[in-house]
Order: sequence, then structure tokens, then C-alpha cells
Amino acid sequence: MGEFTSNASGRFYLKPRNSTEADQEFLVANGFAIASDDRLAWHSHHARVLARLAKPEKLDYLILVPTLRCNLACSYCQVSRAPLRASGFDWNEKTTSAIEEMLDGLATNAIKIEFQGGEPTLRLDLVKRIIDRCDRFAERSFVICTNLSEVGPELLDLLERADVSVSTSLDGSSLVHSAQRTRSTAMTDQFLRNLREIIARFGPGKVSALPTINQSSPPPVDELIDAFADFGFESIHLRPVNFQGFARKRHPSSAEDHRAWWAYHEEFVHRLIARNHEDRSRVLEESYFSLCLRRMFRLGIDRHVDLRNPNPLGTDYLVIDYDGQLYPTDEARMLARSGIVDLSIGTVVDGLDVEKLAVLNAYSTTIGDPACDACPYQPYCGRDLVDDLSRYGRIDLPQHETFFCQKHLYMFDLAVHLIYSHDPAVRYSLARWLGLAGEYLPPQVVLA
Amino acid sequence: MINLVLAARADAEARYVVRLNDRQSNDFGANDALLVDERPDRKIYSSAFGLLEIRVADESCFDRDVVSVDPQRGLVERLVRSSSPHNTFLATERCDQLCVMCSQPPKKTHVDRWAEFEMAARLALPDALLGISGGEPTLFRRELFALIEAVQADRPDLSWHILSNGQHFCEDDISQLSSEAFLRVTWGIPIYAAAAPLHDEIVGKEGAYRQLREGLDVLLRSGAHVELRTVILSSNLDHLPALAHHAGLHLGFCDQWSIMQLEAAGFAKNRFADLFVPTAGRFAPIGEAIDAAELYGLPVALFNFPRCHIPKNYRGHAVASISDWKRKFASACAECHERSACGGFFEWHPAKAMGAVPL
Repeated sequence: MGEFTSNASGRFYLKPRNSTEADQEFLVANGFAIASDDRLAWHSHHARVLARLAKPEKLDYLILVPTLRCNLACSYCQVSRAPLRASGFDWNEKTTSAIEEMLDGLATNAIKIEFQGGEPTLRLDLVKRIIDRCDRFAERSFVICTNLSEVGPELLDLLERADVSVSTSLDGSSLVHSAQRTRSTAMTDQFLRNLREIIARFGPGKVSALPTINQSSPPPVDELIDAFADFGFESIHLRPVNFQGFARKRHPSSAEDHRAWWAYHEEFVHRLIARNHEDRSRVLEESYFSLCLRRMFRLGIDRHVDLRNPNPLGTDYLVIDYDGQLYPTDEARMLARSGIVDLSIGTVVDGLDVEKLAVLNAYSTTIGDPACDACPYQPYCGRDLVDDLSRYGRIDLPQHETFFCQKHLYMFDLAVHLIYSHDPAVRYSLARWLGLAGEYLPPQVVLA
Repeated sequence: MINLVLAARADAEARYVVRLNDRQSNDFGANDALLVDERPDRKIYSSAFGLLEIRVADESCFDRDVVSVDPQRGLVERLVRSSSPHNTFLATERCDQLCVMCSQPPKKTHVDRWAEFEMAARLALPDALLGISGGEPTLFRRELFALIEAVQADRPDLSWHILSNGQHFCEDDISQLSSEAFLRVTWGIPIYAAAAPLHDEIVGKEGAYRQLREGLDVLLRSGAHVELRTVILSSNLDHLPALAHHAGLHLGFCDQWSIMQLEAAGFAKNRFADLFVPTAGRFAPIGEAIDAAELYGLPVALFNFPRCHIPKNYRGHAVASISDWKRKFASACAECHERSACGGFFEWHPAKAMGAVPL
């Protein structure tokens, strides 16, 4: 379709094949050149370039694992798990009080906490202790990541709070969900009943759900979309099995070429586009694609810690495991659990291991990387050190050889194709995903 | 209409500023007045400045209002009404522009009231937002900056919205404008077109556009909060998408772009038929502009647009912006389901140009 050109501030245009070179008037009109006496344009360009950089500062986002025990044993388990009746896999009193003290010392008015596991609802007493300790924060958001196998009155009580929501896994049809997660139709039915009850009681906004897809046999696209749309979920984060922990042992094929996966993702996005166009009563999206799309146009969309640049670890978010170990990300925790590399960066009792963190963060930006500096998607892209470590055991591979790079090349290529599509159905969905009031995404800059 | 100026009698001879109180409270200071007597047609207050009698026509409540008292002219002016989010100090009536639609035509004379404003701000309720407009307040930039700095030092809870044509800032202001005192100041800066000839023609000043962009450059470099403001006129309506493109390109540092419907006041009153565009059927350029700016992350708000004049999908951008004391509704609005969310019309909006359609 032509050549996609961008500058460091993220402005872009498309240069179709056979088009002439851009002249000065075109470049000035589109932010690629600045008249020498136009100081406003000069400074606003530089402000945009700086604003493209994420500025993680205060620690205000915690992923907490009060227990590693779980009442399910999913085939792809992301986190390694401990048996339901095992002992020594929950926070002890020392760890719990250390976390409480840490919360007291945070220099932020807004706190976001995600309770992960294991199955955190096995220790709602600990979850509540933490939530209670957060009363002092002006803004609070708590997400309980639960498999919803069992929903008792205690959890329902907690959900009465406006600042508490749940996140769960919904892998598609009942059949797929049973095969991958519950191993039993009865337990899947129980899960679906619980999910329905929570939505009926609190509305679909109380729950977010995401599927984990087995790349070697992904479900039919419409079947998966229906599974979500039927519950009123509009945002779906299509997530392939992450080959770590248990998953690596049971799904060896997931390490292979990802081309089939990109094709599946693209088909999925195109079906969403078609379905959005047909049924205007709701807007379905693939949330990671929407994130990539928004980053192409807007600044400061840096709260998604998987896609930002620079992406220093251990600064604004932190994982605290069942044993009080600190990890920079949830994936880092899994890597340690599966014995690949120990990425713990201290303990909640003794504090951060600053030296180890500095080593990790020595290469936390794409700026200066020769492959990235040559890439037109650099202003929108990010860096994921832990993913590189997990796949290659090193962080200095040429970026274009990494999964992270290939994934985002695919994502941004798709975005560019859609942005410059003439199909009204495409432009309709793009306008929705970008939150515009107008019916269609306006035409974007093309060199004549 | 709510009257901001009321007839009054006062013991004192010189002008003063007091806060009116219905009851005693423990934060009383030298500028607090207590209600001591109340009749159907008057309220009587006592303060260190002596007695003050205010004539009232209805059951107005003045509790915690800040007023300036002018004994010579027998008037009180309600500078800060505690019940209203719309309190604005008129800094000066002088202006170096002559906008074709000016709602507050400039005068040559200037009354210096900075000391009164400072006292009034100090007496305002906690967390109040105070407005400053004109005329052109930055013609008295030193006094203006001094007011903000003095008040914020004692009242860091207050926020300010200052309407200015943005043409009197200079490089040397950056250190002040970026200081802590100005953290809670938003500058409301009008821009009518992204082309010098059209902008200059609308504001009646040659070179205005060039100076405006220099002023915006200073505000950008100061990290100031800026609200861009554009009044829709017959002359710039079709130019709006080009302005949006320019704003998305160079003015993305601004907090908001407010697109405003014309107010039939001041100069616009007699020129209303020429200047006013009823947008109910001509919304396309506005919609295009909103999408172009929002796409690049510049939030757009529609001011002074009755909701029924905005296509449904753009209604989320509408702000019920018309200050309570100068707002009215058409008779047709009585049956509208969106009336409570609507800003209605200016009190002085011509009745035949209302065209309200109940939603």
C-alpha cells in the first residue's frame, strides 16, 4: 500500500507507491518540518517528542499474591500453582504486616491493587486486610483475579464496594473452557452460573474477562466472540498461551512460529469490525489492538505496563508473591517459579534489591537501539525485558529477532492497513475504538 | 436573571469588602459581617465597618457571599456568590482588541480594583474556582500576577480561570508562570482561525494572530494550563476543521478546546443576524473539527449550545456552560427530557433565534 513514514513525535503519513517526494509545504502542514521563525511549532513538536516517553514515577500499582494455592489446575497454568490443601503457600503474618507497612509508606494518593494467585478468594481475609489498609488513599481500585469456581457471601459483600471488581478467565465455549480449565462440565456450569449471578447483580462493568487461547487449536472466531458478547462483555483481550511454567511442559508447540496466530488475530479483528457494523447497539473490541491504535494518535497512554517506552522495572508497579518475594512483573514471578531465571528483586520485608534492578533496567528503552531507531513504529512501541529474558535468556538480541518486536510489527502493520482502509465498516469501528463521536474515522494524511 | 448588584445603605464612607454571614462561626475575621436583622425587603448586617443594609427583592440567601460595598453609590456588588460556581472578577474594561462579536465592549477608563479582588478571593469558600476577565486582564499583567501570587500563598486551595487574548506574555514571564502559584491557573485563550488574516479581522487587530502564537509559545514553555476558546461565527464556521487540524498539530499541550456559540450581547447584539450561525442544520464542520482534535487527544467541549442543536452522537461534548444568573429556556423546553443537562440560552438570546426542539 506504500510507505508509512513517522517522526519522533509520532506524526505519520502514508506515501503511496509511485507518489512524488514530499514537498516543503506538505511537510510543514503535517508537522514534519517547521518554519525557522515558528517557535510555537518548534516547541510543541519537542514537547510531543518528550511526551512520547513514559515517565513512571511513584509506586502506585501492586500485584499481590496472598496465596499460591488454587482450586483449579488449568492445562496452561500461568503462574505455577500449589495444591488446594498444601501449606506454606500463603502470606504469613510477617509478610502481611510488612505489606501493610509498605502501603502506609507509599507517596501516592491513588492506589491500584490486583489480587492474583493462585486463587485469591481462598484468602479473602487477607484481601480484606489489604483493602482496609488502603482507606487513606483518595482514589482506590481493587481487582480480584478469580476463577469464579466458588462465589460465597463474603466475596459478594466485598463486591458491593464501588472500588472492587473482579477479573476472570473465560476461554470460549463451555467445551473449550472445560477442556482447558475446569476439566469438568459440572464445574464449568458452576463457573458460568457464578459469572451470570455477578453480572446480574452488579452489571457487566463489575467484571472483566479474558480468554487464554491455545494457539495450536484456536476456537472458531465467532464462537469465541459469542461467548463474550452473550455476557455483555465488549472488550476482549485475545491472549495466546504464554509458554512458561506448567504451560511450557504441556504445550510445546506454543514456542513455534507465530504467523498462524497473527492470522487468527487479524481474522478476529476483522470479524469484530463486521459485527460492529451490523449491530450498532454495542461496540466490540480487541483491547490490545485498541491500545496500539490509540498510541498511534495520542500521547500519555502509558498506564499499560506491557506497552510503553521506556519501561523501567520496579518503579511504579511491583508484584509481591505469596512468600513476600518482590518481582518486577507477573511474568517475572512465573519465570522464577519455573526455574528459568530468578528475577526476584528483593523481599517486602528487606526491601528492593536496587543493584539487581539497575542491571535489569540498563536496557529498558528502545531509544538508541539501532533496529528500533530505524522503525517507524518506535514512537508507539515499547520494551519488555522480561519477555526477552523468558524467551531468549538475554536482553540484547537484535530487536527485530524478538517475539515482542514481531508481535508489534504485526499489530502496527494491521493498524496502518485499517487506518488507511476505505471500507466504511473499518472506519466505523476505528472511530469507536478511538472514542470519536463522529461515525467514521476521518481520512488520515496521504502524500499525493 | 440573578442580580449581582443590589441597592444598599452603609455606615462607612469608603468602599470595603466583607463576607456576609447568616450566623456566627469561629473563622470570623476583620472582614466578616453578621446578619443582625432580616425583613421581607431588606437584610441588615453588622461588621467592623459598621452597619450595612441590603435591599432584597426576593428570598435571596447571601450566606458566605463576598460583597464589595460602595456607600457613596448606595450599592453592593456580589463578588463571590457562595452558591455559584461562576464567579468572575472584571479586572479592567480596557482592551487592545475590538472583536467583532465582543460581549463586553471595551472602555477607555480603568477602575483599579485589584485590592478588592484580592480580599474577596481570600474570603472565598474553600476550593472555590474564581474567574478573571475583562477587557484584557493582562494589560495589567504585573498586578494580575501579583494578585495570583499573593492569594495562592495563603489560599493554595483556590483555582483560577483567567480569560486573556494571550498577547502580552513574554519570555521573561516563564519563570513566574511556571511557579507553584500558577499551578491552579487555567488561561482561557481565544483563537478564531488558524490563519492570520481571518483571526486578525475577527479580533479587529492587525498582528494579533502572530502575537497570540508567541503568547501560546510562552504558555507552552511554562507548562501552563490552557483552554482554547473559539466562538462560532458566520465568518469562521467553515474554517473550523482547518483550525482543528492546526490545534491537533501544534496546540495539543492545551487542556481543552471550547467551541462556543455566539452570545447576543455587546457588539454581537446589533450584528446578531450577520454573525450568528444556527448550527442545528449546519453542524458538519463543527463535528469534523471535534473529531480531528479529539483524535489527537485534545478534548473538545461545546459551550452555549442547547442540546437540541447538536446531533445526538456529539451531545456528549456539550457543557451546560451558561452561567446560572444569565440563563433562560424556551417555552418548548418545558417538555424536554434533557433540560436538566442543558445549558439553555443566554437571557438576551433573541427569542426568534431559539429554535428549541424538545428531546
